Amino acid sequence: MQQAQSLPQSAARPQVRRRLHLPRFTRRSTAVWLHEFLSWRRFYKSSVLLNFGEPVLNLIALGWGLGAYISQMGEVSFLQFIGPGLLAVTAMNSVTFDICYEGFDRLHRTGLYTAMTSTSMEVEEVVGGQMLWSMTRSVLYGSIFLFVLLLFGLIESAWSFGIIVTLMLNGALFSLAGLIVVSVAKNYEHLFYYFSLIITPMFMFSGVFFPVERLPVFLQWFIQALPLYHFVEMNRALVSGQVDASILGHVAIVLAMIMVLALFPARLLRKTLQRL
Amino acid sequence: MNPAVQAIGLTKRFGSFTAVAGIDFDVPAGICFGILGPNGAGKTTTIRMISCRFPPDGGSLHVLGMDVTTQAQAIKARLGLVPQENNLDEDLTLLENLELYGRYFGLEGREARRRALEYLDFMHLSNRAKDQVKALSGGMKRRAMIARAMINQPDLIILDEPTTGLDPQSRVLLWDRLRDLKGQGVTLLLTTHYMDEAQRLCDELVIMHEGQIIDRASPQQLVERHVGRWAAEIQLTEMVTVAALKNLLPTGLRHWEQTGSILHLYADDDELLVAALQRTQHSGYQIRPANLEDVFLVRTGREIDE
Repeated sequence: MQQAQSLPQSAARPQVRRRLHLPRFTRRSTAVWLHEFLSWRRFYKSSVLLNFGEPVLNLIALGWGLGAYISQMGEVSFLQFIGPGLLAVTAMNSVTFDICYEGFDRLHRTGLYTAMTSTSMEVEEVVGGQMLWSMTRSVLYGSIFLFVLLLFGLIESAWSFGIIVTLMLNGALFSLAGLIVVSVAKNYEHLFYYFSLIITPMFMFSGVFFPVERLPVFLQWFIQALPLYHFVEMNRALVSGQVDASILGHVAIVLAMIMVLALFPARLLRKTLQRL
Repeated sequence: MNPAVQAIGLTKRFGSFTAVAGIDFDVPAGICFGILGPNGAGKTTTIRMISCRFPPDGGSLHVLGMDVTTQAQAIKARLGLVPQENNLDEDLTLLENLELYGRYFGLEGREARRRALEYLDFMHLSNRAKDQVKALSGGMKRRAMIARAMINQPDLIILDEPTTGLDPQSRVLLWDRLRDLKGQGVTLLLTTHYMDEAQRLCDELVIMHEGQIIDRASPQQLVERHVGRWAAEIQLTEMVTVAALKNLLPTGLRHWEQTGSILHLYADDDELLVAALQRTQHSGYQIRPANLEDVFLVRTGREIDE
């Protein structure tokens, strides 16, 4: 009976809107940013300590410890070589862990995404707001790390200010990637798949610790597809001041990756929200 | 005036399960409208379609005169929503929660704060405005949810089981606030499985059962229509059995229904019941006005919470 009743009305179903569901940046998105900021403010001390302490310890242990055996990486010291790379990793991690844990909680445990989208806010605006916050976070934690590099005497060029731009791109990219993971993850375990199978290997293979030119050619091609690699290369060029046109290539690749990733989070998040 | 909600043949399926099976109803503006039913009756699914959480699979649904399938965003801007589960941010203060919610509707900061303070005051929460939500009691969180739902000055507030799990004082205070809201002209739509709540608050209600609406009326009409005005409850024992009582039951009874060891008798005339019970010479009985609980018992053959 219900079947027969609903058939004639199926024409009234929403026409599939041909939209790209790209993130949107509106006044309402800034409210999402503000929410993130207020939550962060409550725990910022432990958050700064965690996101800052680990890479600095890495820098000390690897740079001074391991660096005692590897004195030169081409023309620069080992510490000089890994510093800008670790900066990119710090920014990536500070965004990734935040968006994955917090995002998953908001979606599945606290219902905050449901609350947000019960208002006149669209999912696209939530994604936009999250991106803004991740960019802020990336710049914040990256800048602190930049300051540490300065203290270590590793900053050689005023080009280093350009790192603020790479940090914004870094935040945008890993925010989108994290939101995709959050939207499809069914439990915390799935988040760990992302961390262990994607984030950690990327950390190892993106040329933070060794020049990728040492690797076989097919691997080098593969590494071109890792976003972190491009951030590492950009940061290294900016810190050392050896900036040439190749940096524009890295920017273009990263922007293209952001464009592609931007197609998915709102779409997936909306689907998951409807199923909750 | 347009009805606040108008549903025609409204249907929702989850896989092969039909949660809402082609229901028709309308909620007149300005009243408190209740959806009653046992768990799994389709109440929450209905409410989620009205609040544009997901689209219907069939039929049409208009909220505040707008179509949910094409004007969800505009509808949500005019709705206040109090879901079953509180979804306040426990780490933030009450005031921060409400202000942010106002901003989600696109309000400017100053206006969001002004309204947040006003509605916290309305819900008797002013003195807790600067407290973290996690420090509040269940009743306070529930009231905070209603204050939050008011922030966009909605025309329709939807409440999914507003007082489930609250202590009696909190419930009374909350009902009181809801009546005030209705007095301000806001339409209220609530689901509940508490009959006392429905009886106190609702001007009209529907009873849902297995995805269908099986009845619709005011609480008093429902009671009079289905069970009569008076109810007697007789405690059954080994001596006093249904079989033994049956012969003594007077004519003119509207219904009788056994649940567990209690026999319910219903009639329009209380003296009829008194006379019948005196004849049994059994002291384990009480006579009281019939209520919605009894309607539910008679209509669905079971208690509402089952």
